[in-house]
This record gives sequence, structure tokens and C-alpha cells, in this order.
Amino acid sequence: MAAALASRLTKGRSLLGGLTNAFSGLMSSSNGSILSQQQQRTFIQMGTTLKVVDNSGGKEVMCIQSLRGKKGARLGDIVIGSVKEAAQKKDVKKGKDDIQKGKVKKGNVVYGVVVRAAMQKGRVDGSQVRFDDNAIVILGIKEKKKDENGKEKKKKHAGGFHQPLGTRVFGPVPHEMRLKKQLKILSLAQHLV
Amino acid sequence: MATSSHLLLPQALHMVPRNPTQPSTKLGFSSILSCAPSMNPRLSVSRLSLSHSVSKSSSSLGTKARREVLVRAEGEGEGEPEEAVAATEGNVDDVVEASEAKAPRKPRVKLGDVMGILNQKAIEVSEKVRPVPEIRTGDIVEIKLEVPENRRRLSIYKGIVMSRQNAGIHTTIRIRRIIAGIGVEIVFPIYSPNIKEIKVVSHRKVRRARLYYLRDKLPRLSTFK
Repeated sequence: MAAALASRLTKGRSLLGGLTNAFSGLMSSSNGSILSQQQQRTFIQMGTTLKVVDNSGGKEVMCIQSLRGKKGARLGDIVIGSVKEAAQKKDVKKGKDDIQKGKVKKGNVVYGVVVRAAMQKGRVDGSQVRFDDNAIVILGIKEKKKDENGKEKKKKHAGGFHQPLGTRVFGPVPHEMRLKKQLKILSLAQHLV
Repeated sequence: MATSSHLLLPQALHMVPRNPTQPSTKLGFSSILSCAPSMNPRLSVSRLSLSHSVSKSSSSLGTKARREVLVRAEGEGEGEPEEAVAATEGNVDDVVEASEAKAPRKPRVKLGDVMGILNQKAIEVSEKVRPVPEIRTGDIVEIKLEVPENRRRLSIYKGIVMSRQNAGIHTTIRIRRIIAGIGVEIVFPIYSPNIKEIKVVSHRKVRRARLYYLRDKLPRLSTFK
């Protein structure tokens, strides 16, 4: 619970939240009038840690570059990240959960598409959607080579665009993936929001 | 139009009979300030120009001099509808009467609540298509939504109403639910034509209007089968 609270702290609440433990974190919502009543979530930018929700081998990725937008990435955008934490081979059982061939290791620089963002995303019909956490699906590993060989290698993967590395996606996935041409993720998703 | 504005105003000071086809000479004051949309097209140009001028120099009403010439120039094809500009207050009478001959008389719209009236009208239209039940914070509702991308079947969203923001036609409710282990909040405009059905399934007693505390609580409290 404390960890969840800690991860939820962003600009709006950092001051009060950082000093409190989980218990008073619950109380702080009643003192929310001191800070803004609603926590204003913002973009995914350099330094944001994101959860990895496929079985490509990574667990946590820190964003080092957002490939779209000056202020950062939103739901559905592609980011470049560095894998901070990867699943250990021995932790994963065999079978469907098995880590894929192109296993992602700690320290790899990867491309990923944001499938869940704590920042609300507006839709054309006037609705808005937001999730409780930030999560990405890893699309491909960025090669270390400096020349364009690395980029071209990735483009060859599938129909002109990065396709997910893993074979399973966990958690809900928004409809925005359809607009971003991530149809494979849509088909693998457990639940469409 | 700056010059014309100066010129028009003094014109207004005179009580001039209207265009013969508009028999309204009751007050002889037309409300430029009203800028009512139901304007006689014939007069619209001149009215617009007048209104433009008035709005620009509303403070200087009654301090301008003549400009008949300009009015005629920019006004109309037929005779010149010379209008008088009300000193400060505007009344829609002339405008309404002008349009009487053209269209059925619309109920007089009070200034200052145009948006409210428009919103009410839009809500009425939407309610005719699909009535919206009474939704309050704490209700557990089920929404059937038609997604244009997924036209085969309706998406169903269930959850607890965390808040209701009243904004006329864009009145929204915020639904929260734990889906596949992750909390998801969606804001729905309840008068949207995409929403095919809203049903209140049950109600939970809450003592707040906005249930943002649910974000910090256990997922169990936001789970609805």
C-alpha cells in the first residue's frame, strides 16, 4: 500500500505525500484541500518508470525518450526506455508464461508503446479514460550500433511498424491501440477498455 | 467599420420610421445590443453594422453625429431602413417584430441566459431519444456504449459513479472499476448519442459528492462483478 501510494505521488501531491506513511496517506485525501483536490497527472517523460505488461522478459522500464510530443508521451505513444528490472529466468515457469526468445535483459534499451497511462486521454466522443498506473508493451530492442542498421533491423519485423516482442499482454488495453495500429496488442489483450 | 460606427450612431438618435414593410414603429428603438439572430435578412446588414458599431462604442452612444449616407451605402437594396439605436438598453421588440412577418414569433429570449436555454433544448432533444435516469454519486451503474471502432457489439462498462459534473449538455459522470487488476476511470458524457443504455444497478451509501478517496483504497472496494 505504501509502495502504491509512493508510486502515485506526482506533482500535485509530492510534498505532503512524501512525508507520510501509508496510514496518513489515507487521511491526506481529506486534507486535499490544502493541495489541489484532484491530482493532476501529466505526461510520461524522461525518468518515468513504467510497468511492463507483456511476457517479453522485462519488468520495469524507465523512459529515456518520448518519441512524440515535446512534453512527453501519452496513452498510445511510443517511448524509448531502459530496462531497469527484468524477470529472472528461474522465476518464470514454463509454458505460456515463458520468456520469449528475444529476451529482454536488464540494461537493454527498448522501444515500447504506452498501453496504460495515469494521465487522462480524451476520446472523440467526449469521454476520457485513465488508468491507475503507467504501463508499456515492449516493441523491440534498440540495437547498440550507431549506424542505421539497427533501425532497419527493427523495421523489418512486421508490417512497417514495431510489433510487440511478447506473446501475451496482461491487464486492460484501451481502444487507442487500434488508432495506433497496434492490432496485435489488441488481439492479445485480456480486456478492452 | 470604425468610421461607419461613428456615423451610424448619430443616425440612431433620430426616431426614423422603419422600412415601410415593417409596420413596427412602436418604439422606434432597435436593440443593437441584442444582436438577435432572428434578424430580417434585409435589414441584417445594416443591423449588423449598427450592432458592430454599437458594440464597439457602446459608451459613446448618443455622442455621435450623422451618417445617413453610410447607412444607406452599406444597408440595403430597397429603401434605407433607418434604425434608431436605443440609448442604453436594448429591447428585442423591433427585431422580433421585424421577423414576425417572416417567421413565427419566437419566445423572447432573455439576455444573459442564452447558454442555459440552449443547453436545456439540447438536453430535451437527447432525452427524447433516450431518457437518462437519475444518477448520483455512489450509484453502481452499467453503461452500454457503442464504440465506432467496434461496431459489432456494444461495450459494457460497469462501475461506481465517482462524481457527477453538471455542465448542461456535457454533464459527465466518472465511473471507476477494477478491470483485470487495474483500476480504470472513465468519464462519460451522459447525453452522448453513443451511449445506448444507462442502468442503475445498485447504490452504495457514500457521504461525499466526489469519491476520489477510492483511488487510494483497496481494490476490493472498486470491484464490481
